[in-house]
Amino acid sequence: MEGQPDGRPGPHQAPFEPRPAAAGTAGSARATAAARAAPGGASAAAAAMGWEERQVRGYPEFVRTAQSYHGRPIFALFCGDKDAEGRSWCPDCVTAEPIVRKELHNLPDDSVFIYCLVGDRAYWKDPNNEFRRNLKLTGVPTLLKYGTPQKLVEEECFKSELVRMLFTED
Amino acid sequence: MLCSQKTSLLVLIRATWLIPVWFTVNNYIRNEEWLKTFKGGAPKQREGQREAAAAATSQPVVSAREKQTGDHERTLKARKEEENPQKTMEMNGLKPVPDSYDYDLIVIGGGSGGLAAAKEAAKYEKKVMVLDFVMPTPQGSSWGLGGTCVNVGCIPKKLMHQAALLGQALQDSRKFGWQFTEEVKHNWMTMTESVQNYIGSLNWGYRVALRDKKVTYENAYGQFVGPHTIKATNKKGVEKLYTAERFIIATGERPRYLGIPGDKEYCISSDDLFSLPYCPGRTLVVGASYVALECAGFLAGLGLDVTVMVRSILLRGFDQDMANRIGEYMTEHGVKFIREFVPIKVERVKEGAPGILKVTAKSTTGNQIIEAEYNTVLLAIGRDPCTRKIGLDKVGVNINERTGKIPVNDEEQTNVPYIYAIGDILQDKLELTPVAIQAGRLLVQRLYAGATAKCDYVNVPTTVFTPLEYGACGYSEETAVEKFGEENIEVYHSHFWPLEWTVPSRDNNKCYAKIICNIQDNERVIGFHVLGPNAGEVTQGFAAAIKCGLTKEQLDSTVGIHPVCAEVFTTLSVTKRSGESTTVSGC
Repeated sequence: MEGQPDGRPGPHQAPFEPRPAAAGTAGSARATAAARAAPGGASAAAAAMGWEERQVRGYPEFVRTAQSYHGRPIFALFCGDKDAEGRSWCPDCVTAEPIVRKELHNLPDDSVFIYCLVGDRAYWKDPNNEFRRNLKLTGVPTLLKYGTPQKLVEEECFKSELVRMLFTED
Repeated sequence: MLCSQKTSLLVLIRATWLIPVWFTVNNYIRNEEWLKTFKGGAPKQREGQREAAAAATSQPVVSAREKQTGDHERTLKARKEEENPQKTMEMNGLKPVPDSYDYDLIVIGGGSGGLAAAKEAAKYEKKVMVLDFVMPTPQGSSWGLGGTCVNVGCIPKKLMHQAALLGQALQDSRKFGWQFTEEVKHNWMTMTESVQNYIGSLNWGYRVALRDKKVTYENAYGQFVGPHTIKATNKKGVEKLYTAERFIIATGERPRYLGIPGDKEYCISSDDLFSLPYCPGRTLVVGASYVALECAGFLAGLGLDVTVMVRSILLRGFDQDMANRIGEYMTEHGVKFIREFVPIKVERVKEGAPGILKVTAKSTTGNQIIEAEYNTVLLAIGRDPCTRKIGLDKVGVNINERTGKIPVNDEEQTNVPYIYAIGDILQDKLELTPVAIQAGRLLVQRLYAGATAKCDYVNVPTTVFTPLEYGACGYSEETAVEKFGEENIEVYHSHFWPLEWTVPSRDNNKCYAKIICNIQDNERVIGFHVLGPNAGEVTQGFAAAIKCGLTKEQLDSTVGIHPVCAEVFTTLSVTKRSGESTTVSGC
């Protein structure tokens, strides 16, 4: 699967290495580079170090993906679904996403960043949805370090200092 | 002489007044001593200031005829107003003057008091740093930011106490109609994981709060190395030096060990208990402090075989009448007590998690020796302040050599004016989280917001979360008698039976309420004591009333809420003096 319409890498693309210059466009540059790289042939070295991104939708896919990376540090950003134009129904998610992406280059080596779309607004508002029940999410956007109590919720995700702290400190 | 030559000559002659000026300037720069021999000498300025002034810039102080004609006042002003004077100095190859510190305030210790003080100071836009570091226990336990209360004190204690109460509630529930055929069992790991997870979220929450308020936090061990200077050593051994205008010491305490063979190798303390990765099993709790009794209480409530070894009395410092009632209740509910013995040796019989330990103990009243085996030995014999290894001697802060506590005045200031202290380490003050928080906040408000309010250490309410909870505010009966005289106090008391306990036929005439009144002061309530469920919730409101000067009459004229335990305080009539019975048979 090729990259998403807005240039972000698809779920099964080869992992790419972080670049020191963290600009908004770097994402798409990486995506293009990754898209051009031979599938699977992309540097085995990159798979061993650096971080990788996976994109998922819905709870079952999230759990499957997280479990497949058991043993590695996993960070996840949960956002509301996006429409055909790529805009989320969740305005705070729209604000948070670029801020979080700007800090991705701080992710520790060998970690995984899972970008997870939770569902449509109606699904999210249901107090019994699986994300609320099982992952104890209370709002979107939520940025968390999987398997730890460390997380940032809603406006906390707007603060790059806090995002950086989540990514870089124990 | 030609006109032009004449002019030049005149200019030259007029210019000669500059010669002494030049001389002065030149020689000042080279030889101040020489300058002083001049009549009138150097302008009247502070010596140090002149030197500093001259050193700070490359401009000389220009004087002519005893009158200073040029100086670098403006330059000095610019330096003071400049954002980073140190940098300018360094640029000029000079060392910074000592009155520009790295921080306005450094707080040593990130516990209840320290964090409250740091967050408050950040409100006033002060540059604050918090240093927090946990030295691992002999068993290797450690924890995150938040101090004792959050990690190994109040929070996990209350949660585990609640776990035990829920066990009791499950038993009671059958009488209320709940039907379940399975036997109810407790899983230590499930409880501990949930508790630790919650604590982890609190640790993280504190870090987010500090970062958000721009308070610098370092996970490093702080030690004074000189005036206004502290050395911070992180877990990798990397040392950094920081300076601050003021310091607050809030390093708290750690559990004491017995000093007998095997204590550190095999025994655990409350520092280890709340994150113990295995069920403690058959446990010996050594000590009679509230820590000892609370831990023994919930361990027994979870179904474990618990023994408490007490050297002399229970809950020293608390009302002894209440302490004995607590002990009786625990005994009736399966906790064993070994009174007037102290352990003298702990040996390991079998390794494991838990293993088997053999404890040898000696009587305090004779020569009797006893031995017994336990899976776990929990020491809860007291806590010692962390003040011995933080370099207080380097800055001259006095401590009580015997106890390690720091004496402070009523503004939490140590004998060194720029160093303050709050929390459990204070001499003669209560060791409670809300007290530390209050003291920290008020101190910072006095330092940076011009406030004057001091921390009020009088009539502070507390609660002991033993299986039968005990809430208190004000004087114990003994202290009231000592201070006011037995004839001047009136003690009203009563047993009560919580309605919720009637149906499951739980202990009647165990719950107990007592107030102590000062006869000479309108029967003012000076002591409040309650033994019963939700004692903390009951006591909080009465503490506010006592602060307002509650009298017995006001209490009597307050209408009770029915049916709740607390209403007993609105209908107290039997006095201890009368000797009448206080037993009840329900409402």
